[in-house]
Amino acid sequence: MFESILIDTAKKLLRDKTVDLIIGYGSTHYPFRTEPIVINKEDQADALIWNPFCGNNLARYLKYYKNTQHKIALMVKGCDSRAVQVLLKEDQINRDRLYLIGLSCPGLVNREKLQKQFPQASPEDFQWKETGWFFHGEQIDPELLLEETCLRCRYPNPLEYDQLIGEPRTTSPYQTYQKDYLDPIDDLSPEERWDRWSKEMTKCIRCYACRNSCPLCYCQECFAESTQPQWVSPAPTPSDNFLFHLVRTMHMAGRCVECGACERACPVSIPIAQLPLKVETIIREQFQFEAGTDQESAAPLLTYRENDPGDFVK
Amino acid sequence: MTELSWEPKIVAFLCHWCSYAGADLAGVSRMQYPPNIRVIRVPCSGAINPLYIFKALREGADGVLVSGCHPGDCHYISGNYYARRKFYILKELMVWAGIEADRIHFSWVSASEGQKFSEVVTEVVNAVKQLGPSRKLVKEFSTNV
Repeated sequence: MFESILIDTAKKLLRDKTVDLIIGYGSTHYPFRTEPIVINKEDQADALIWNPFCGNNLARYLKYYKNTQHKIALMVKGCDSRAVQVLLKEDQINRDRLYLIGLSCPGLVNREKLQKQFPQASPEDFQWKETGWFFHGEQIDPELLLEETCLRCRYPNPLEYDQLIGEPRTTSPYQTYQKDYLDPIDDLSPEERWDRWSKEMTKCIRCYACRNSCPLCYCQECFAESTQPQWVSPAPTPSDNFLFHLVRTMHMAGRCVECGACERACPVSIPIAQLPLKVETIIREQFQFEAGTDQESAAPLLTYRENDPGDFVK
Repeated sequence: MTELSWEPKIVAFLCHWCSYAGADLAGVSRMQYPPNIRVIRVPCSGAINPLYIFKALREGADGVLVSGCHPGDCHYISGNYYARRKFYILKELMVWAGIEADRIHFSWVSASEGQKFSEVVTEVVNAVKQLGPSRKLVKEFSTNV
């Protein structure tokens, strides 16, 4: 029912020439998966879908249209809209060229969790209604299914949109579940954290899917690909992998919108979003800033206060 | 190489206007401090990219020292204030990632503080000696040498 509203909206936008193209989600032949699609004709609009597997952050594609004149409609969840806000703040796109189709988001479903809970199930066994998920008519506890990054979501509604699909949500998953993805890791000792991360970094194949799926990693040349000087060896050794991820995390400081697109893109299941999420937590607590929710004040690393924490300096 | 003969290599990023001059003063005043630091002069502590620090550790440095002008005394007015925020986040992140906190040190040393410079270096070298040779982040080929 949301999809029919979405498709009608899309058709109208293209018919009236309000926009030149729509970046949205389409279905694939893989179960529980979706793909990003770009459509520019009214009859293609029927391909658009919206369900809790629409994991890509489509704001990522705006960089291809930075120097064009296209008017673009974009499907945005809460986190995606924050990414758009950061891109607007950083002058990467003009708001006049954007039409934001807001999606009131119940949280994305993690495929691995789903397969663990219901190993034999196929997509037809599930129904997604306004009130939640149902398995053969029986309601499922969303906490068992949601992505970890979504369980700590504070912004289920888009912060800015031209049209909202679905009713605005009154509570966020964070309010409901009071969970933070990082709590179990914060409780570990530094040595345990090192063991954990060095194992994860040994898995990394440096495909750069995390960076490439990120809406805010829009540099034309990444430090990781620079050859003069060569900061990171192209060979995916654990230390170079970790160097890449730590520096990328520093580049995301005060900018990460906590969408978890990097983690969903990872082909070797590294919980890679945890690094930028940790930095965002530090910034929220110490510098009272949240990326994509505040268009007025300067980004935290572009400003300072005289009473910033300084005890760590001799 | 045995543990006894091991001496840490520490990369020191010093700002041109204060800490580098402070190191110079320590030198011309004949103050003694351990010879474990390798100084890299940078225009301002605000010009130090976190990448430099990670890169130093990756290339085999056992520790990193970053030093600049005292808050309020930056030659470029506010470079060290920006640096302080950046390094605060960097340090928290490194510790959270499991890298020993004493691998990276930050200090404010003015051009007149030769004495403080030699004290800071002594302190940093002792702290890094306590930790032993750096293994984390170091590029694999050099770990077994």
